[in-house]
Amino acid sequence: MNEETSFSEFADLSEALEKTSKRNEKKRLISNFLLKLREDEIKPAVTFLVGRPFVEADSRILEVGGRTLYRIMGKSKQETLIQKPLTILNVKEYFEEVAKATGKKSRKRKENIIKGLLSQTTSLETKYLLRILQGELKIGVVEGMMLEGISEATSINLELIQRCNMLLGSVGEVARIALNIGREALEKIGLQLFKPIKPMLAEMSYNLVEVLKYNGGKTAFEYKFDGARIQIHKKGDEIRIFSRRLNDVTESLPDIVELAKTEVIAKNTLVEGEVVAIGSEDRPLPFQDLMRRFRRVHEVGSMTREIPLKLYLFDILFLEGETLIDVPYVERWSLLNQTCGSHLLAKRIITDNLEEVNAFLKSAIKAGHEGLMAKALNSNYTPGIRGKKWFKIKPTEHLDLLIAAAEWGYGRRIGWLSNYHLAARDEETGEFLMLGKTFKGLADNEFKEMTRRLEEIKISEDNYTVYVKPEIVVEVAYNEIQKSPHYKSGFALRFARITQIRDDKGPTDVDTIGRIKVLYEKQFETKSKVTLRQQL
Amino acid sequence: MFKIKMSDAKLWKNLITAIAALVDEASFNVDLEAIRLRAMDPSHVAMVDFELSKTIFDEFVSEESTKLCINTSEMLKLLRRVGSDESIELSVDPKTARLNMVLRSKYTRTFSMATLEPSSEEPPTPKLSFNSRVKTTATFMRDAIDDAMRISDYVKLEASQEKFTIESKGDLGSASIEVEKGSEEILNLDVKEPSRATFSLNFLSEMIKAASSVSDIVTVEFSTNMPVRLSLELPQQGKFQYYLAPYKE
Repeated sequence: MNEETSFSEFADLSEALEKTSKRNEKKRLISNFLLKLREDEIKPAVTFLVGRPFVEADSRILEVGGRTLYRIMGKSKQETLIQKPLTILNVKEYFEEVAKATGKKSRKRKENIIKGLLSQTTSLETKYLLRILQGELKIGVVEGMMLEGISEATSINLELIQRCNMLLGSVGEVARIALNIGREALEKIGLQLFKPIKPMLAEMSYNLVEVLKYNGGKTAFEYKFDGARIQIHKKGDEIRIFSRRLNDVTESLPDIVELAKTEVIAKNTLVEGEVVAIGSEDRPLPFQDLMRRFRRVHEVGSMTREIPLKLYLFDILFLEGETLIDVPYVERWSLLNQTCGSHLLAKRIITDNLEEVNAFLKSAIKAGHEGLMAKALNSNYTPGIRGKKWFKIKPTEHLDLLIAAAEWGYGRRIGWLSNYHLAARDEETGEFLMLGKTFKGLADNEFKEMTRRLEEIKISEDNYTVYVKPEIVVEVAYNEIQKSPHYKSGFALRFARITQIRDDKGPTDVDTIGRIKVLYEKQFETKSKVTLRQQL
Repeated sequence: MFKIKMSDAKLWKNLITAIAALVDEASFNVDLEAIRLRAMDPSHVAMVDFELSKTIFDEFVSEESTKLCINTSEMLKLLRRVGSDESIELSVDPKTARLNMVLRSKYTRTFSMATLEPSSEEPPTPKLSFNSRVKTTATFMRDAIDDAMRISDYVKLEASQEKFTIESKGDLGSASIEVEKGSEEILNLDVKEPSRATFSLNFLSEMIKAASSVSDIVTVEFSTNMPVRLSLELPQQGKFQYYLAPYKE
């Protein structure tokens, strides 16, 4: 094999990528770099370039806070016993060692390993190494860009590469297969049972007329549940259930496992649905109660009685050896209907009649659900992608935002991190931009818990404010989006309040600045005159 | 077939503790003559070089060269209550690849633990020449390092023809521990060229602590801004050395 690629080449590439904003130039740089790499370097290098220490499906974490990094940086340098240029594979090994350190002295150990690593880096290498350690490379290479680079390097069509990325959920793995094995291997990739797949996402819509028009009339509308999305993998008698964030939650859902065993007729299948916690009179319970079930590992039995769940299925992605993601929605639905009892299916209508949709939306809300999902009849399933094939329809305005920082409270909230900086995601740069602050919406015990969690993910701190890693997502209700010269996002939310802590969502699920812009414009359809007058 | 027996189980425990100061997974090489281990800590800042020849053991049966990899903290858990009157016997069951550990005193205790996949290749011995060599008592080193730790996370070792100095400086104060040639604590001071280098107390204190439970005497060798080597005195043909890279100032 060739010599290992040095980490300095990675740093040079990162620097070059950061300096250019031209897509084609970025694509070319990535492609050239990929073609130079050794086979065993492709996966780690690509993973680093999208700003991760490990591939997406790898649950290992480094657990090194920004404060620790800062402290290590501030000191004179520890040398190592071996002195030769650092390679990409060396860095990967170091990360593995950091993740491996657990137990009593793990903090010190992790710190020592990183010190050893940082003692071998040049200042440019240090810059990008620290960014990987913090989970963000900030060179404007998001997953989509990376896929284009892979396509450019291999001359394999982008659609195939995108499809494989959706199925594998790992851009590093796609790159490895594309570059080392080739097109044929990619074409053979299908869903594998017991390997979770990223769920397809929906766009929010505020205009039913537009949705109907967009779908060319007849559209499927399903109840949108205020629950947690799950995927059930069934292989013979064995069942595994994964959450929206692809965690294995089988252990906490014995009742759903039982249900899947008896009610899902197919031998090998992957069905998708939503579980809803049920209170008295069969009405859904708040989302938090459901999350309690999800996190629960011990005493599952008593929890099962205390918070019974209801399962609503709405999709099927795999059936007896066939991957169904390219099969149109209507056909998938009928396969799903044949695979399990229709009493498990989400409530649904197909219509092009606006009044019918409105009545259906009302009935969903009345039954305690969140709203509707609108799905194009001929749409395929695009894992992990938020496209215009599915729309969420909710009566009230909500955004999923990131808590980027928090301020210590005053008065009765003293000692708590209680004023939260809410941020949306800039889809161009991957940065999180602030839209406002709120201290409304949480109960006392939630403030306490949130304070504890925020302190755990703290990056830095100044007088009043604790800055945290992009991890915690909350659903925020608001009354209006305003333009703001104050925030970098250019927008501010009026009367923002937290309505839910969305532990089932991660930073990539956070609503985008692009969406905020669209929502801002939409507001003027009903109140343009008022705003005009204000501006005058 | 692999089986070793040692009359002093406590010594074995202390050696494993000293290895555990640097590595979680210890990969021993066993051949016909000795058991060896050379491993770096994950950050590549420190290294342990260890060897016990067969003569140290009461029984040493090894028919071929093999590797034996164990998790040091798991082994230490089992060795927690070891007494100095106990003997230890280690053997690997070739079928299950488990390590059997038998501790004998007035009664017999038998433990079995998993072995691990041997890890990657051994690091080479660093090629170093040392300008200063200080043979001193482990107690002196332990106390001096303990004093230095109250002040800072780093310590400077300095040797001249006349004396050996351990110094640390912090934001709030400084400490200097000096010992002159001829003192009872210094068994030998051999300095070709005055030397000084700074080291992380994180590592050094762990090493010295482990060293002092194995050996009464420690040899400290270093040169200006170069790695230090700490050699422990083992009975007969044994070797236990630590290497530690310096801190750039």
